[in-house]
Amino acid sequence: MESNKTHKDKEVYLAQWLDGKISDETLKEYVSEEDFLIYKKMQSGLLIMEELEKPLASSFNAVQQKIQQQKRTKFRRQTYRWSISIAASLVLFFGLYSSINVQSTTIETFFAHQKEIVLLDGSEVIMNSNSEISYQEREWNLKRDVNLKGEAFFKVKKGSSFTVLTDQGTVTVLGTKFNVNASDDFFEVICYEGKVKVNINKEDYFLTPNQAIRRINGNTIERWDSKSISPTWINGESSFKSVPLKYVIKALEKQYNLKFITTKIDDSLIFTGSFSHKNIEIALASVFKTMNISYSKKDKSVYELNHDK
Amino acid sequence: MIKDLNNICDGKFFKTIFDLYAKDLKRFLYFKTQDMDLAEDILQDSFVKLWENCNKVDQTKAKSYLFTVAKNMFLNIKKHEKVVRNHQKLHVAKSNKETPEFILLEQEFLVKIEKAISDLPEKQRTVFLMNRIEKKKYREIAEMLDISVKTVEKRMHFALKAMKEKIGNV
Repeated sequence: MESNKTHKDKEVYLAQWLDGKISDETLKEYVSEEDFLIYKKMQSGLLIMEELEKPLASSFNAVQQKIQQQKRTKFRRQTYRWSISIAASLVLFFGLYSSINVQSTTIETFFAHQKEIVLLDGSEVIMNSNSEISYQEREWNLKRDVNLKGEAFFKVKKGSSFTVLTDQGTVTVLGTKFNVNASDDFFEVICYEGKVKVNINKEDYFLTPNQAIRRINGNTIERWDSKSISPTWINGESSFKSVPLKYVIKALEKQYNLKFITTKIDDSLIFTGSFSHKNIEIALASVFKTMNISYSKKDKSVYELNHDK
Repeated sequence: MIKDLNNICDGKFFKTIFDLYAKDLKRFLYFKTQDMDLAEDILQDSFVKLWENCNKVDQTKAKSYLFTVAKNMFLNIKKHEKVVRNHQKLHVAKSNKETPEFILLEQEFLVKIEKAISDLPEKQRTVFLMNRIEKKKYREIAEMLDISVKTVEKRMHFALKAMKEKIGNV
């Protein structure tokens, strides 16, 4: 109480209050209730004013940093386009070369890229991002075999049997439209037209239009009906029906060339929905917001995932 | 190449524009968002956007360009928040991360405070600004102005009192 006396100095208590040396309670003893409220509001106003009057040098630095970052990504994008055209001409070159030699033709897609190719017989293949197909041109007239890693949609011209070979199973058809997704331990075939034979572990499965089959991580084989008339990824969207989140995250990583830290979340949760290929923000929000998972940027393309509290 | 000194793409001129408008823009954004961090984010992004379009924006239009971009960014965030809120209707509103001092304040109130400060007698105003804006301690101010700490405190005290009278009932 001794110290209170020095504060009672009538001409400094406001200064000491603003400095935090005396409390709101003490101030109330000096001024009327009404004045106290005004002083409180002035205090808040001053805080905001001080905040707004702060020098903005650090903001300017932040702006410059952001500009630098974008320049870099732009540059990367340009070099990327370069590398694509080089890759394309290489493919073309080797394509011509291999028509003379017995070499297999390989076509690859990279992150966030799709490619539409026409095979020798007029069959069409639309490749999703980060996929690879290869085939033997020499033997094409004898057997239409295509090796696939990743995901692709096939529109096969009628003719002799057409086979898609993947590490996890083979798909055989005569003339039809179907989608094969064979990425890592995920294998899925959806038939859109005609009839498809899928061979998994020496077992044959037949798919008619709108039927689908799937096997995840060596688990039991699932069959279901698909409603769409062509895979959604062709229209710039990836759709999932009751798929463990792990594979959705992998697809996101593939599409946008990202890395996710998933140690803090349960990636076996089941996800049904889709994400856009065009806008990363919307894509992330549409997957994670609906799962109540928050994502925070750790690095340029690294995100950490966390369950919402 | 002839370098136009008043081209926004010129780094120096860009900095000049920043120095000219950043404070006003931040203030404008603060009162729109009532959120200092968000205001800062939008402020930075607006200037990044200006830089990206530095060739297309006439230097005389830089200010209105900045404010328009900032306003649109703010509206988009609001729109997005609305969507998220609708999605999370069940979630209890998260507690405000701002400190309780940052309660909702109208811009007019701040203008009143600033007016009150500028109306202070010179000696009080000097001490007040040194303390509040330059963040100097009373003791430091006393040393710099070669007066006693007590005098500094008195000037602060009367400054606050005078301001309260000016601002009157809130």
